Amino acid sequence: MADQVTVTIDEQKVSVGAGSLVIEAAKALGISIPSFCYYPGLSLQGACRMCLVEVEKVPKLQTACTLVAQEGMVVRTQTRQVVEARKSMVEFLLTNHPLDCPVCDKGGECELQDMTVRYGLASSRFVEEKIHIPEQKFSPLVYFDAPRCILCFRCVRVCDEAMDVKALGVGERGAYSVILPNQGERLDCEECGMCIDICPVGALTSGTYRYKTRPWELRYVGTICTHCGDGCKTTLGVRADSIVRANNRDRSGVNGEFLCAKGRFGFDFTESKARLRQPLIRRDGRLQPASWEEAFEWVAARLKGIRKEYGREAIGVAGSSRNTNEECYLLQRYARQVLGTPHIDHVRSADYGGLVAGVSQSAGASFARCADFAEARTLLLIGNDPTQQHPLLAYNLRQAVRRMGARLFILGFQEIKLKRQARQMVVIPEGEMDQAIGHLLRGKSSLPRDVATQLDDLKTQLAAAPEMAVAFGSEVTGESIYDLVAFATAGGRMAKIAALGDYVNSRGASDMGALPEFLPGYVRTNEPGMTLREMFRSRGKIRALHVVGSDPAKELRLPAGWRNAFELVVVQDLFLTATAQDADAVFPAASLYEKDGTVTNTYGEVQPVRRAIHHASVRTDFDIIRILAQLMGGELKLRSPESAWEEIRVTVPGYGVSTEGVLVGQACKTTPKISDSGRRIAANGVFSANDTLFTSGTLGEYCEIIQSLPEAQVSK
Amino acid sequence: MMQLSEKLETKFAELLRRYPRKRSALIPMLLFAQDETGQISDELIAEIAKRLDLRELEVAETLSYYSMLRRKPCGKYHFQVCTNISCMLRGGNEIFERAKKRLGIGHRQTTADGLFSLEEVECIGACSGAPAMQVNYDYYENLSTTRVEEILDKLRAGKDPKPTKITSGTLRPQRHPSEVPVISRRFGLPNSASIDTYLQNDGYKGLEKALKQMTPEQVIEEVKRSALRGRGGAGFSAGMKWSFVPKDTKKPKYVIANADESEPGTCKDRPLMEMDPHQLIEGIVIAGVAVGAHQGYIYIRGEYRYVMNILDRAVEEAYDHGYLGKNLMGTGFDFDLWTHTGAGAYECGEESALMESLEGKRGYPRIRPPFPAVVGLYGCPTVINNVETLSSVPAIIRQGGEWYASLGTPKNGGTRMFVLSGHVNKPGVYELPMGFPLRRLIEEVGGGCWKGRKVKAVIPGGSSTPVLTASQLDTPLDFDSVAKAGSMLGSGAVVVMDEETCMVEVARRIMQFYAHESCGWCIPCREGTAWLKKMLDRFHGGLGRREDIPLIGELSRNMLGRTFCPFGDAAAMPTISIVEKFRGEFEAHLNGRCPFVARELAAANR
Repeated sequence: MADQVTVTIDEQKVSVGAGSLVIEAAKALGISIPSFCYYPGLSLQGACRMCLVEVEKVPKLQTACTLVAQEGMVVRTQTRQVVEARKSMVEFLLTNHPLDCPVCDKGGECELQDMTVRYGLASSRFVEEKIHIPEQKFSPLVYFDAPRCILCFRCVRVCDEAMDVKALGVGERGAYSVILPNQGERLDCEECGMCIDICPVGALTSGTYRYKTRPWELRYVGTICTHCGDGCKTTLGVRADSIVRANNRDRSGVNGEFLCAKGRFGFDFTESKARLRQPLIRRDGRLQPASWEEAFEWVAARLKGIRKEYGREAIGVAGSSRNTNEECYLLQRYARQVLGTPHIDHVRSADYGGLVAGVSQSAGASFARCADFAEARTLLLIGNDPTQQHPLLAYNLRQAVRRMGARLFILGFQEIKLKRQARQMVVIPEGEMDQAIGHLLRGKSSLPRDVATQLDDLKTQLAAAPEMAVAFGSEVTGESIYDLVAFATAGGRMAKIAALGDYVNSRGASDMGALPEFLPGYVRTNEPGMTLREMFRSRGKIRALHVVGSDPAKELRLPAGWRNAFELVVVQDLFLTATAQDADAVFPAASLYEKDGTVTNTYGEVQPVRRAIHHASVRTDFDIIRILAQLMGGELKLRSPESAWEEIRVTVPGYGVSTEGVLVGQACKTTPKISDSGRRIAANGVFSANDTLFTSGTLGEYCEIIQSLPEAQVSK
Repeated sequence: MMQLSEKLETKFAELLRRYPRKRSALIPMLLFAQDETGQISDELIAEIAKRLDLRELEVAETLSYYSMLRRKPCGKYHFQVCTNISCMLRGGNEIFERAKKRLGIGHRQTTADGLFSLEEVECIGACSGAPAMQVNYDYYENLSTTRVEEILDKLRAGKDPKPTKITSGTLRPQRHPSEVPVISRRFGLPNSASIDTYLQNDGYKGLEKALKQMTPEQVIEEVKRSALRGRGGAGFSAGMKWSFVPKDTKKPKYVIANADESEPGTCKDRPLMEMDPHQLIEGIVIAGVAVGAHQGYIYIRGEYRYVMNILDRAVEEAYDHGYLGKNLMGTGFDFDLWTHTGAGAYECGEESALMESLEGKRGYPRIRPPFPAVVGLYGCPTVINNVETLSSVPAIIRQGGEWYASLGTPKNGGTRMFVLSGHVNKPGVYELPMGFPLRRLIEEVGGGCWKGRKVKAVIPGGSSTPVLTASQLDTPLDFDSVAKAGSMLGSGAVVVMDEETCMVEVARRIMQFYAHESCGWCIPCREGTAWLKKMLDRFHGGLGRREDIPLIGELSRNMLGRTFCPFGDAAAMPTISIVEKFRGEFEAHLNGRCPFVARELAAANR
């Protein structure tokens, strides 16, 4: 069979790959054939009949979405017959469809409205009674207005095929057919909201957006979701400086139109009543409001005092996994150059240093991009539960298996939902992941025999793969990463590798050197500082702690009274966290949705974040650090995130990517390197928060929309 | 774990053995469970879901597609009164009205004492005995309002109302001289369904010949030579269909007998199965020999329960005698056969929707190509033919395709079963040569139009076919001639309407059927049939507007040729023919009254 076929559509010739559908061939020519039920990536239906076209020598009209282009085929999409057919389909559809436009949320972005304007009749001939079913609330987030449903089944297919949740079905028959949720009248699902955005009409709508506004009244800001390390792009819809909704219908970014519950609905924390709105200083044993000037001066004075009395190295800095690259970069410059301390770290959820070292020292290994997990034919997942922790990765793995026939292999301490897509999953005894990887590499280990046999089996199945994409979670650190890289690239195999860190800029925090042993770009420091845990066990060596955007008291499970080891604790955060509650000074900080800059996802791709809303009462961490630096006597000469970015681009190894690329929202691949081997990080320095679809560290606690979900209650 | 009766547990275990995929047992399991428990409860859904490794949602969405499966209990005696075309023409509506009045309940309601429930149903396959109804699975044919009352009284008194035991109009003291009994030749023999009778009357000789004296290719050639065309409705060459099955494939192959007979006006597969089940079995196995299939299913509509029981007994007999199972007649050829029950869905008679249903899913048709011969049941090559088509095969193999072809007309070989119903004196099922003139069927075989009236219109091949007028009665009844006359031979269901018939009511009732049965997959059929049904309801109810008349035709034409499967055409074509050929009657209704007052339809309660 030839690789390419040439077809003629509306008198224009086009050459497409063999097996292409006529509707896709037409798209290549810029000819848009209307369709409801056809949706790229989902199974074919040919049900809505909107895409009927004329094919020469064929008596009946054919659906372009199921017709495979054949060499020499002649198709016409604008003949009178086709135009009449489309008109009649729209007319049929509008018979039971209610005239809800005035009250329907979809108005203005409704595909049926578009089709009617483009292809339909100007008036209705239907005078009979419409079938009416009252609206239903499938979940707090998913409302269903059955009369509006055009039964295209996109929702059923996306939930089944793309999400593998299968929470929607079709009941009854004929014109009484109706979409059914899986728990009686309710949905018990992952609440990702994919069904809402894929619905071409206003049948499935968002419960949080219902009746609030019109799509043309919103200001749209494209930015990166503030939650997990996948780095999905999200478009925030803003009205009167308030985020009203989030989706990614324009399919830009690394995630196409995928977003999980957090990406779609986890934005309301920005308006939580618990947001810190003014600086706080501890006076008379209590945190009390202060002005910015007061707070800055007070903190600067105290820090200077401690530095004078105990030396520069008496100050420790804790960075954030959710700040921008510019903020992380600035923070480590502040720590190292202004404060003069080597003690800077952050709560680490992935051994990125190990990943960079491993990849740098192997010719066959390279960094995996997010998209690689949707395209590779052989996939290896070690640890992590992507369905919960990295939903985009889970989505990509599912698509690779479903659409590319990829083989997925999993190692983990317990069975996960992705097992359903896996060729093989081996359950490893708790804590023995390094043994498992060692076994894959060397063929022996101290693992029980049945596990060892399964690993041997897995190894055999992987043997013939010429290339592989590998993702590993916090279960794999240090030496184990070297073993993993060696195994993945054995026998000349090309391996693309990714480490899975919890949050939106866990990777960026590491890349930007918020680490005691690395400067930005994994350049080794001459004298490594203390790790975060060491700072809390310093026995008096660290006297002051400056915490930015993290909550070590909670995340490191510090004992009550941890605070007494320090004379000064300064915190910058959105909320009064456990750490902040015991601090001496607290600065109210802006969230990721309230600032400009860049973030790097766990796959090493840099993407821009853009400020969507503005709260006058908070300041970005960038500004707070910059001002403090100035007051501490160190002018950093970086006035804005843009200037910080330019410095990063030029000075940080691996970050020499195109600014233009970043500005237009391309996910630009960074290429850090470590060419030497040195002291390895202690393995217990890395741990994951093990978030779920409904939790997201501190931010997640204040996402009321998500916290109110029945599924979130259950998973607590 | 829900407790089920031992009988049901045994049935479930046995059902699961029939299929390579568990889900196929879903609909039979649901129906058998419902027979015992009265309705399908949430608990039962959860239980069956667990046993079949399905989600509860999958069970719920599947069962809700099928008319016979219910979530609420009905009466001990569930009255299912047919009001579709053949029954309507002979008083079905009056039967339903009388039942309503006597029971004091309406459609889909149950009496307070829980004894009776009532449902207006679509064609139950008793057209030659119209008007007819079912009580649970029992048939009651040739009803009168008096008879209905009698049945009610008997049931209430715990006495036997004596249901109809075999399809009406199939056994007569004497066959009509024009009949050519090829596949109906054993009708009327004592114990005609038993294998002993079958073996005494050339039984399984065709299979023997096919296995021992012919190659598979020769079998296909013989069937091609016979010019046997599909008797279900489409009229596609059976031999050619079989030849599409790929010769080399590692996949298992299947033969399916389509016994979903639901085309209004049609009840000819029912007598074939109840009176000569082994003929069908033999035909299925010969098809298996021809294409290299070793497994077969008879997909039989849920309402034909007693017929399925007869088939099951025959299948058992065939296994006992070595005509099914392993190493048939010592030739090394294996063949397994099972029945499979539907649960009330006309669209499941469409070959690809049938396979979806057999796989345990909602009866949606599939994208074609690929066709069943290449990608069929479970994605494997499948021969699927109508019961009558397969029943014709043994005689073809025994006596030769040329002989069979010669009985009919060129390219339209053999004989076929015709169901004559409606306004004739002798409704019944008759086997006549292909090409037999319609006029002779009505006047000679059928005893002419009843009550001394004249014929106004005739449906030649089931409600999906355009009507013919009185001026077209000289049409020979074969596929090509009827096509030339602007209609279709279809299922061979000839429904005669006299001059007192309101054609608007006929159009309305036919569209009600299609709106009820539309699977809902594609826009034009789902919305088009619903719209037209409401429009025709309103029109015959007296509120028709002048602009409705051309609109009926236009909407039907908007469905024609644009739907996902031929169901849309089946709804559109007869409607177009009626509104074109009887426009005057539509106009006569514009004054708000039906000119045929004696047939005033109660348009309410739809």
